[in-house]
Amino acid sequence: MLEMKFKFSNSCAVLAYTLLVILPLWLALDRLIWVAGPNPIDWLSSLERNYIAQGVVQFTFIQALLSTLATLAIGLPIAWQLGRYKWPLQSLTKAILTMPFVMPSIVAAMGFLHIVGRAGLNIRIDESTWFLTLIIAHAWFNMALVIRFCEPVISTLDPRLEEQMRLLPAGSNKIRRFRNLWAPLLAPSIAAAACMTFVFSFTSFALVRWITLGENTLESVMAGIGSSAGIKGYMVSRNEIVLGSSMIQFTILLLSLVLMSWLQQKRQSLLPQVSEDIVKKSNPRGWYVIGPGLIFALSPLIAVFGASFRIRNTDSSGTNYTWETSGWEYAFTSSSSMTSAWDALYNSLGYAALTLIIAVPLGWILAQTILDLEEFNPKMARALDVLTMLPFAISSVMIGLGVMLGMIKIDAEFFYSFWPTPALAHVMITTPFVVRIMLPALRSIDPSYDECGRTLGIPKWKRFIQIQLPMLRGSILVAVIFTLAMSLGEFGASWVVTRNSDWTTLPVMIDSLKSIPYNNSLTAPAACAVSSVLMGITLLLFTWAEKFRPARDGGMF
Amino acid sequence: MLRCSGLSKSFEKELFSNFDLELEPGEIIAITGPSGCGKTTLLRCICGLEKPDSGEIYLNDENIGNTETELRGVGMIFQKPVLFPHLSVQGNLRLGDKTGDIEKALLEVGLADFEQRNVASLSGGEGQRVALARALLAEPKVLLLDEPFSSLDEDLAMKLVKDVRAILKQRECPAILVTHNKRVAEEFADSVISM
Repeated sequence: MLEMKFKFSNSCAVLAYTLLVILPLWLALDRLIWVAGPNPIDWLSSLERNYIAQGVVQFTFIQALLSTLATLAIGLPIAWQLGRYKWPLQSLTKAILTMPFVMPSIVAAMGFLHIVGRAGLNIRIDESTWFLTLIIAHAWFNMALVIRFCEPVISTLDPRLEEQMRLLPAGSNKIRRFRNLWAPLLAPSIAAAACMTFVFSFTSFALVRWITLGENTLESVMAGIGSSAGIKGYMVSRNEIVLGSSMIQFTILLLSLVLMSWLQQKRQSLLPQVSEDIVKKSNPRGWYVIGPGLIFALSPLIAVFGASFRIRNTDSSGTNYTWETSGWEYAFTSSSSMTSAWDALYNSLGYAALTLIIAVPLGWILAQTILDLEEFNPKMARALDVLTMLPFAISSVMIGLGVMLGMIKIDAEFFYSFWPTPALAHVMITTPFVVRIMLPALRSIDPSYDECGRTLGIPKWKRFIQIQLPMLRGSILVAVIFTLAMSLGEFGASWVVTRNSDWTTLPVMIDSLKSIPYNNSLTAPAACAVSSVLMGITLLLFTWAEKFRPARDGGMF
Repeated sequence: MLRCSGLSKSFEKELFSNFDLELEPGEIIAITGPSGCGKTTLLRCICGLEKPDSGEIYLNDENIGNTETELRGVGMIFQKPVLFPHLSVQGNLRLGDKTGDIEKALLEVGLADFEQRNVASLSGGEGQRVALARALLAEPKVLLLDEPFSSLDEDLAMKLVKDVRAILKQRECPAILVTHNKRVAEEFADSVISM
């Protein structure tokens, strides 16, 4: 009987996942093909035929490639210093340096715009600097990946390996030791970090939308034209562009994920590990790397917060700036043309809570289902494992389009009056992450704990509460916090889903405020005020999550 | 008391076939045999963690073959002590009996004042004693011991063998020990069966 109930819950989770995540994407694809026709050659060629998408593929590739190189150039020296040497307030230093990755992309965009803007370096007026700003912003965003992937290898590798190498001709100097010891050991981690950076830069939306005005990535093109897709006989080429862009993105993301998964397995090839305390020595000169790293990590955030109080005043004598709180007041007061930040905050928190309620239990049960299937039916376990990873190969804008074309266009009147609709996109994005967090945690629990509980006569529900739940506490909290942070900061999918509705979230409100013409001096500070709220919540969640992260966690979560 | 008749189990190879066993109240028996001969699997079948391919298991004349593990009233001590790392010694013992006398249970296994200790700080022998105290608190009708002394050094193992036997005899708790060590088997049990 117990076994039957268990199988029933597994089936429910798989069914719910199929209905909530796979079905909307399938319906959206079906609708797009219904309008554009089934020929993939037409979809791809439309990217060069149509002026909207011309040059976008090249731009997307080039900026992603250069962003990856810049991220490695900035992240690797920091990872090396963090891993090899002791630092005062080590965990705080590491937390600050890895925090950019969890920041909403729209906040990062606001930060960099103010650094290069009039109040900062004042280079924004020169359009040729925009591309470089984008590359640096991507490097800021993704340097945490390099740190998270490489630092654990550096900080825990048995020093006897290096000692031995020093006694051999192949390790007689630092360059040789790097070439013969560190480079081969770090290569899989560096390549994995590069892979992920490439993926995130390739699908970048908010940073591209705001920093390189006029230039588009595949992601921003899809976001821009997606709302007019899916209507039979209307702007057919736009459907082709969306399909062509999706196809390229899906292929690139899938290839990157397969490569990344292979590299991750190589990383796990049991390196002789020791405690960090044995490896790390002090290095006062390392501050030349860590110091600028900390400034780099913090400056966009400080710039955003500072800019929320800086008000532009223009009169006959010219333009001057004063420090006031009127930007905050403007943001938190509703007007006929603009939603109040309170409403946006309410929506964002509501969607985050709804996402949490659905995604965490769903992801958890799916992870448990994969684990159960591994024992009885490994092939099916592998199939479900791949299915739960599928949304990783789909960008957030594509997911937003999935919700819009797959669900909303079925019954626009109903879905646009149904407040929880945007949360569906957030569930689609966060559930795979919950599965990835919970699966290794569930795997790490020795089955003998449950067996021991059974021989002690403890019933199933009590074993769940008294044994499994406390052992998974840390991972559950990380999953909860991660889900909340991702949902609150989610921009691409929310922007696509909510643009024709009244449901403004904090990131969408920031975007709307920035879109208001420049003559209103309060909109930019108000956008920064809302960004600061979002930044504050994310920081709080990130600091909280760091407390529960396993000590030798080498992954990005 | 406990009667197994015609028990058979195979995974990739046959582990045991038509195995019969009878255990009287208060009796302690040991089953010996080389590694991989199915000793542990036999215990797992008796407590319900594995299902035998065929055969019957009776406890106090009741067929428990289809009873859930947690309802069988059969306790088990594993080869390595299974102590829950998120709980103190006291917390681990409370899993055996929520209202039981923890102090007395610890005193019985020679670990007085260990209530608040973190389980990570226990030695192998102490861990097995805690696991024994917890299993006894649950008042099992039969206690199964799966090579609990094998990971300890010889002196400590022999001391623990004597202590555990004395406790089980005092409580008149029937028990089955599986081990590959004949000396331990002879010292611990009233009778020894070879597999």
